[in-house]
Amino acid sequence: MSIRASARTHLGAILLFLLPALILFTTGCARQDESEAVPGRGENVLHLFNWNNYIAPETVRHFEKFCNCKLSQDYYSDNEEMLAKLAAGATGYDLIVPTGNAMDTLIRQGALRPLDKSLLPNLRNINPAYLETVFDPGNKYSVPYAYTLTLLGFNEEKIRELELPTDTWAIIFEPKYLKKIKGRVTVLDSQRELMAAALKYLGYSVNDTDEEHWKQAAELIVRAKPYWAAFSNTSYIKELAVGNLWLAHGYSNDMFQAALDAKKTGRGFTIGYSTPREGAVLALDSMVLQRSGNRPDLAHQFINFMLEGRNSAELTNLIGSGNPNMDAMQYIRPEIANNKAIFPDPELLARLEMLRDLDRKQRRSLSRLWTEIKLR
Amino acid sequence: MTKKAEQGRTEGRAEERAEVGIKERTARQRMAKFFVAGPPLVFLTVFFVVPSLIMIATSFRFPGEFGGLAPIAAPVVSAHVSQGLEYGFTLEAYQFFFSDILYAKIFLKSFAVAAATTLICLVMAYPLALLISRSKKHLRNLMVLLVVLPFASNFLIRIYAWMIILGPESGLSYFINAVLGALGITPITLLFSPFAVLVGMVYVHLPFMVLPLYTNLEKHDPALLDAAQDLGATRWQRFWRVTWPLSLPGVFSGAALVFIPVLGMFAVPDILGGTGDILIGNLIKDQFLGTRDWPFGSVLAIMLTLAVLAIAGLAAWFARSAVGQRAT
Repeated sequence: MSIRASARTHLGAILLFLLPALILFTTGCARQDESEAVPGRGENVLHLFNWNNYIAPETVRHFEKFCNCKLSQDYYSDNEEMLAKLAAGATGYDLIVPTGNAMDTLIRQGALRPLDKSLLPNLRNINPAYLETVFDPGNKYSVPYAYTLTLLGFNEEKIRELELPTDTWAIIFEPKYLKKIKGRVTVLDSQRELMAAALKYLGYSVNDTDEEHWKQAAELIVRAKPYWAAFSNTSYIKELAVGNLWLAHGYSNDMFQAALDAKKTGRGFTIGYSTPREGAVLALDSMVLQRSGNRPDLAHQFINFMLEGRNSAELTNLIGSGNPNMDAMQYIRPEIANNKAIFPDPELLARLEMLRDLDRKQRRSLSRLWTEIKLR
Repeated sequence: MTKKAEQGRTEGRAEERAEVGIKERTARQRMAKFFVAGPPLVFLTVFFVVPSLIMIATSFRFPGEFGGLAPIAAPVVSAHVSQGLEYGFTLEAYQFFFSDILYAKIFLKSFAVAAATTLICLVMAYPLALLISRSKKHLRNLMVLLVVLPFASNFLIRIYAWMIILGPESGLSYFINAVLGALGITPITLLFSPFAVLVGMVYVHLPFMVLPLYTNLEKHDPALLDAAQDLGATRWQRFWRVTWPLSLPGVFSGAALVFIPVLGMFAVPDILGGTGDILIGNLIKDQFLGTRDWPFGSVLAIMLTLAVLAIAGLAAWFARSAVGQRAT
């Protein structure tokens, strides 16, 4: 083979590598086109853009029967992914279920359609504590759907045996506790969530943007980092359930899942979870109407349907999500309804905070701080 | 492509044109070449060059308040636009990149991981490729099939499998720690470590090293080795002076196929890595998702592309000089 030809095959081989990426890219586009093309006005289809596993299958069946229509769902696994898809031009969703700060972004972008509350008589079922958030004063655009807390999940037997406290963030930040569980702890791989935990432990608000406070939080994290096994956003569920991990910083829904898995497989230990007394992050997901949706009528029907306690409770019974619906409490299984970590008492509730969006400069400097933390 | 066409391409157009009698045939050949090479060329222009240009343009913009990009022109004042929003073009993202040694460190680290992965893959793949190429013909095809068999299952699933293999409750962990314990060394954790990242990287990319090596080694003429033996070369000399130099083009294309994808890989450190295992791929991913800073993400991606191009050029140059050496 000649010299030039071999150089060409090299280039060819390299370019070949880009092909899978391109194919992924193009199919991604095709899916969006599809979602744009499908929701014709004549069709009886409600397009819902929802979290993975965030509606009970029986609820879908009941709703389809109730509205005599079809419910079509697309899924996302985090808010950023949802925002990125919408920013890339995904349209035609009637309903989205974003968390507060992402909803804030959508409202300020003008991407949402105001609600017609005359179509939502069941709105009275919602606990007023979850209405009137900073993101949407007066609930012009949003109706609370469910919530998650960012808390601590742990192997009850191990933690009791080692006599460690579970009601404080100190357990994931203080070396004197951590040295007993070195390599058996994970924390969330999320700049905002981990900083929020550190800021709360230091006595600041989760939305504090003071550079000095950030630095203190970063130092706290760097000091504790050698004791952590990893930053983990999903794998801690399985690792807790099989006993590899003894403590994890994570979401209440995931801890519920881990506890269920550990019980099902009969591992001989229980997974418990609790909300630290310093306070924690509350992520309230709300139903909102996308402006480009074609069926606001069905969307309102869906919201009102989900506001019925019986329907709302089905999700909580399935995934252990927090439920802002007062009427739902009677239908929720007692072991969940009595769980203080999922349904905090008013005193703790007052210490929970929702994450607010950072502006672009803050985002950039937090990202740098985070990279620094990881490299140290 | 016919042998003639290949010759025509390599011997240059001047000669081609000089041959008057076959002018018409050359024109037809060119047409044929266009039909063969045209569609992929157009495809790559549209889906590689254009996105790259978009990325370059993005790197000179301001990030938008909600992600995306700030507008180029001054926005019409409305309630949605916050005060003091910047717009237009800027070098800000580049300044940010060069203002902190941090990002150079991440690049260095990623290059080190990629180099280590490439080296380990080479050491593991070479004997295997040699073995396959010297096996009987019907066995060869079976062995090549076995090498590519892992591709039949999803990449993420295979990486998750390593979580189980390396996990603290796994047989492997127990065995290693039992041995270490007997030697009086404190137990170690395999999972969530730079070691686990390297294992994952090597595991995923090994076939990409084996295949080009095998295609190269398979073509070697056994007569060369016989000749070397006749001239008194030892086993080692025959390998080092005959087989190895001849296989260099395969080594370089394998190295490029491993090194370049490893540089951009983010899933393996995400899943198997510990608290310090961040690579350039993770950082870029984060700029587009968590941090929503497209311009800075573009700057990082451009720097990575430049680095990759430099390496690909270097590999091609090495391969060329290796081939050149053989010719003289």
